[in-house]
Amino acid sequence: MTETDFLCLTPFLILALAPIVIMLVISIFRNYEIVFGFSLLSLILAFAALFFIAPAIPHSIQPLFIIDMYSLFFLGIIFISAFIVALLSYNYIKRLEGVREEYYIILFTSTLGAALLAVANHFVLFFLGIETLSISLYILIAFQRTKDNSIEAGIKYLILASVSTAFLLFGMGLIYTAFGSMMFSEIATAISLQGPLTSLAITGFGMMLVGIGFKLALVPFHAWTPDVYQGAPAPVSAYIATVSKGAVMAVLIRFFFNIKGFDDHYLFIIISAIAILSMFIGNILAIRQQNIKRLLAYSSIANMGYLIIILLTGTNKGIQASLFYLISYFITTISAFGVITLLSNAKNEAEMISDYKGLFWKRPFVAIVFTLALLSLAGIPITAGFIGKFYVIFEGMKAGLMLLVFAMIISSVIGLYYYLRVITTMFSPAGETTLPQITFMGKFTLAAITISILILGIYPGWLIDIITRFVGL
Amino acid sequence: MEKSTFIALLPAIPLFSFLVLALFGNKLSRKATGFIGAGSIGIVALLTLIIATEFFHSLPQIKTYTVVVWEWINAGNLKVNISFSLDSLSLVFCFVITFVGFLIHLYSIAFMAKDEGIKRFFAYMNLFVASMLILVLADNILLLYLGWEGVGLCSYLLIGFWYKEPANGYAARKAFIITRIGDTAMIIGIFILFITFGTVNIHELMQLASAKWASGSSIAVITAALLLCGALGKSAQLPLQTWLPDAMAGPSPVSALIHAATMVTAGVYLIARTNMLFSLAPVVQFAIAIIGALTLLIAGFSALAQHDLKRILAYSTISQIGYMFLALGVGAWSAAIFHFMIHAFFKALLFLGAGVVILVLDEEHDIFKMGGLRKKMPVVFWTFLIGSASLSALPLITAGFYSKDQILWFAYSSESGSLWLWIAGIVGAFLTALYSFRMIFIVFFGESKTLPSFNAGKLMTVPLVILAVLSLIGGFVELPESFGNFHPFSKLIENVLPVVLIKDIGNLEILFQLLSAVIALTGVYLAYIIYFKKPSLSASFNHSHLNRFFEKGWGFDKLYDTLIVVPVVWLSEIDKNDFFDWMNIGLSKLALLLNSLFSITQNGKLRWYLMSFVIGIAFILTFMLYK
Amino acid sequence: MSSESLILFFIVGAVFVGAVLIFSSLVPPKSKNPQKSEAYECGIPTTGITWLQFNIGYYLFAILFLVFDVETVFVFPWAVVMKELGMIAFVEIIIFFVILGLGLLYAWKKHALIWE
Repeated sequence: MTETDFLCLTPFLILALAPIVIMLVISIFRNYEIVFGFSLLSLILAFAALFFIAPAIPHSIQPLFIIDMYSLFFLGIIFISAFIVALLSYNYIKRLEGVREEYYIILFTSTLGAALLAVANHFVLFFLGIETLSISLYILIAFQRTKDNSIEAGIKYLILASVSTAFLLFGMGLIYTAFGSMMFSEIATAISLQGPLTSLAITGFGMMLVGIGFKLALVPFHAWTPDVYQGAPAPVSAYIATVSKGAVMAVLIRFFFNIKGFDDHYLFIIISAIAILSMFIGNILAIRQQNIKRLLAYSSIANMGYLIIILLTGTNKGIQASLFYLISYFITTISAFGVITLLSNAKNEAEMISDYKGLFWKRPFVAIVFTLALLSLAGIPITAGFIGKFYVIFEGMKAGLMLLVFAMIISSVIGLYYYLRVITTMFSPAGETTLPQITFMGKFTLAAITISILILGIYPGWLIDIITRFVGL
Repeated sequence: MEKSTFIALLPAIPLFSFLVLALFGNKLSRKATGFIGAGSIGIVALLTLIIATEFFHSLPQIKTYTVVVWEWINAGNLKVNISFSLDSLSLVFCFVITFVGFLIHLYSIAFMAKDEGIKRFFAYMNLFVASMLILVLADNILLLYLGWEGVGLCSYLLIGFWYKEPANGYAARKAFIITRIGDTAMIIGIFILFITFGTVNIHELMQLASAKWASGSSIAVITAALLLCGALGKSAQLPLQTWLPDAMAGPSPVSALIHAATMVTAGVYLIARTNMLFSLAPVVQFAIAIIGALTLLIAGFSALAQHDLKRILAYSTISQIGYMFLALGVGAWSAAIFHFMIHAFFKALLFLGAGVVILVLDEEHDIFKMGGLRKKMPVVFWTFLIGSASLSALPLITAGFYSKDQILWFAYSSESGSLWLWIAGIVGAFLTALYSFRMIFIVFFGESKTLPSFNAGKLMTVPLVILAVLSLIGGFVELPESFGNFHPFSKLIENVLPVVLIKDIGNLEILFQLLSAVIALTGVYLAYIIYFKKPSLSASFNHSHLNRFFEKGWGFDKLYDTLIVVPVVWLSEIDKNDFFDWMNIGLSKLALLLNSLFSITQNGKLRWYLMSFVIGIAFILTFMLYK
Repeated sequence: MSSESLILFFIVGAVFVGAVLIFSSLVPPKSKNPQKSEAYECGIPTTGITWLQFNIGYYLFAILFLVFDVETVFVFPWAVVMKELGMIAFVEIIIFFVILGLGLLYAWKKHALIWE
């Protein structure tokens, strides 16, 4: 271990130390505000640490870690998302019965897992990251343990994630058998030396696809998503939809581009099929959904379908488009779940569409935030979602993926229907439901997110510049 | 050069104040609302002044300021910048929009003082100014279209401002739909330009068009005709003129700003901006002249028969824009822009004056129920008189004389001009004088029929006085050769637009001027005779069929109703379930069917979920291993 | 890949599985008695429901036991080679102890050590 190694690991050390300190605080003096403040501080510190390691990169700690601009970028968005989720959770968690401070411990361990995925250059770290993330998520999902829904979602996620991890691990094993290495770069060299893939390797990749497809909620490994999103606390759903998926996407893109998976004809077809199925099934399932959390779950299935188109472009430009899409999806999703979080009260979650009836007349600010988030998800111009979709379609077309792009456009049209359905509900005459007061911090956070949705929609240039500077594998 | 970056602020400031009013409107007092609404336009007017001095300073060297605010879309060959450029043409428009706009906003503070919708009003008005400035400052055609649609939207919102009256909503929809017909043609034209030349920058488009398209080639003619359709709709010219008289349902300041001074002249701006394209299509350009001539006559006759004060002014506006089109059609670009500016002054003045009259008479629109207001409201009378004089182009002292006279002269003397166009123009001028002074004599002279309920305040009269002064002296920026020979305005405009080509017919201009002066004075005299001295002369005409025909705007509404509206409604009645409907319904049925099918899998049962895993991996492995 | 063989594969697979299922339901002798449908075929009827609740304390103690269990698993191998590994390993194992100890402290403070 050299000094640079240590320097590069600072963000991870901060993330690992924070839960231990929180545990100590809880044992000695249990206080929600202190724990909350400390969590925010630690996330800010972890984020700040990224700036300190920036001069030292690219740096790899053999054989597990690779810390380059790409991983730095992902670490940045993971930390920011975790920060916003923590902010939004404040009131939601505070009003829960029983233990509350522990929420932040688990949030840290899961963020650590996600962060590890962003720097993984080796199957071992890949697996460690995914497991750290998953195990933390089991707890987060079932955090409201007095609720049947929550427990059910936790158990379902636990069992399905274990099965998928088994596949993933088996796949890794097979690939190791086939190529004799677990490092991404060495596997890539081995592939280019050996020529066509052997059955062993193919089976390995197929098995890994199950594990990754599960995490990203791609059809046919998607069935858990609505149940889990519905049962989990709203901020946790936001966390799963953003941080968890983003981190897996990070490692997937790195791995896939390393081994040049897009060159393999059969892998190409399989991923195309998965993408198209995800788009259509996700969007079609959402059409008649009455529960907003489930609706957003289906929407996330479709969105991940759009996103993996980029894997098949095989270009740096494609990765840049996917990063833009990912960021726009992150802020939009967090904004939507943020609204749900803030409108939920101690007794019930504001999760049915009927709860939002006439929201505009009662809470115009929140309604506008939600409307913009939904429009962005639907990809309407002047929102971030539009530019994101536009770039994905554009790069897809450049790479000649006409069928996929076409499917994406058609299914987006289906998607428009259910987003607009929610929006019209909000603008219809007011219903009877009473809504909780929203704190200033919540309003402020939502306003900041919404403004960034608009800024990215109107003036995407600067972010594209940043991405272009950061990315290139 | 640095001050040129201010031009991005021109649309930004009213847009910002629109946002403030729209978002925090219900937290502001009425006073603050008026202050923000009018103040923002005041700041913009000042900025325009600063930019103008800078612009004149650097004029011979730099003819265009361009500011790229940001790059919006940059994908393949579609590159859309949010960027503005200012040249002398846009400067004239900006000047009118901001200064006249500011005066009208000031006036509105008093005019709308008791209206409960004052916040909404100022928010829309500011949005309008922002859109209009975007329209005239846009340096690419997409941004121009954005402004174009923006002003259309504001016009729609403001016509239907008093939405509780169903008729107003109807008028708003009518305006929107009819201009939409033109807009559709226009966007097709824009697409043709983009697809052919691969850029949306207006300047580049015009250069490429004149380089690549032959004069009179069919594609140039088609594109120019499509753009012309957009201009016709927006500027209420034949055959899309029917919406403007109904648009008077909006508050008077709206009529003054949008439906007289600025928005309706957007068509003039569009044609002037794309003049190279129209030069390539002489047929279309000649059509513009014909349309202008016909419109000014038809609208002139209609104005003569109206009872509603604001409708007279509306028809008068159509007619005056007809003059501008006539000028554009004969290639007298700077004359058209000159008339646009002067018209903005006196027509805004007339509308605002009419607004005061109508307001103090408790919403009385019928001129025959007014009368004798000369003594009751002297300021309004004198300013209205000046406005009417300028509209009738009374010689030498009014600005309208210089601008209209120039158009009449070029209608005959320019290369594509002809005697017939001149005759149409001079008949129109006669009509203009007649109907203008008909208003004056009926409204302000004679015995009083309705008494004013209160006096107009300073905030209303001061803008009237300023506009009256402008309507008098505004013409001195451009004097004819026979009289002063002083041309700073056309010199300014000719930085951007081509110089008018004159036939070699000798120096007859003075003769034409004398003729038109005589005609205008005759019109005034005749109005004096038949509407004041011997009202019985006009009264018999008032009940004739011809008068009814003119009053109904030559029956265009009826014609469109029977020709288009009725058949379309009928068709859609009998054609509720055709093949396309089946297809649409079928698609949604299919989606719902698939939805219920897929929903079966989402039954919450873990074993089903696991099964889908297994099926998935089975498919993947079978497919991949079976190569 | 030839798609014919893939289709054939699926048909043969489906037919084979179906045939075996049908065959096995036709061939064997059938007998029906209540004992056969019991969860445990041990001859004695079961009583009560299967969803019995156990005291949560058992699980807590089991997990706490794990703290020491895992500690032992790591410490023994470390102790064997402690001298060769030197100072760094010593510091690392101390950190490990501290974290585990914290876990215990946490459990203690939450009154997890009291049997209720």
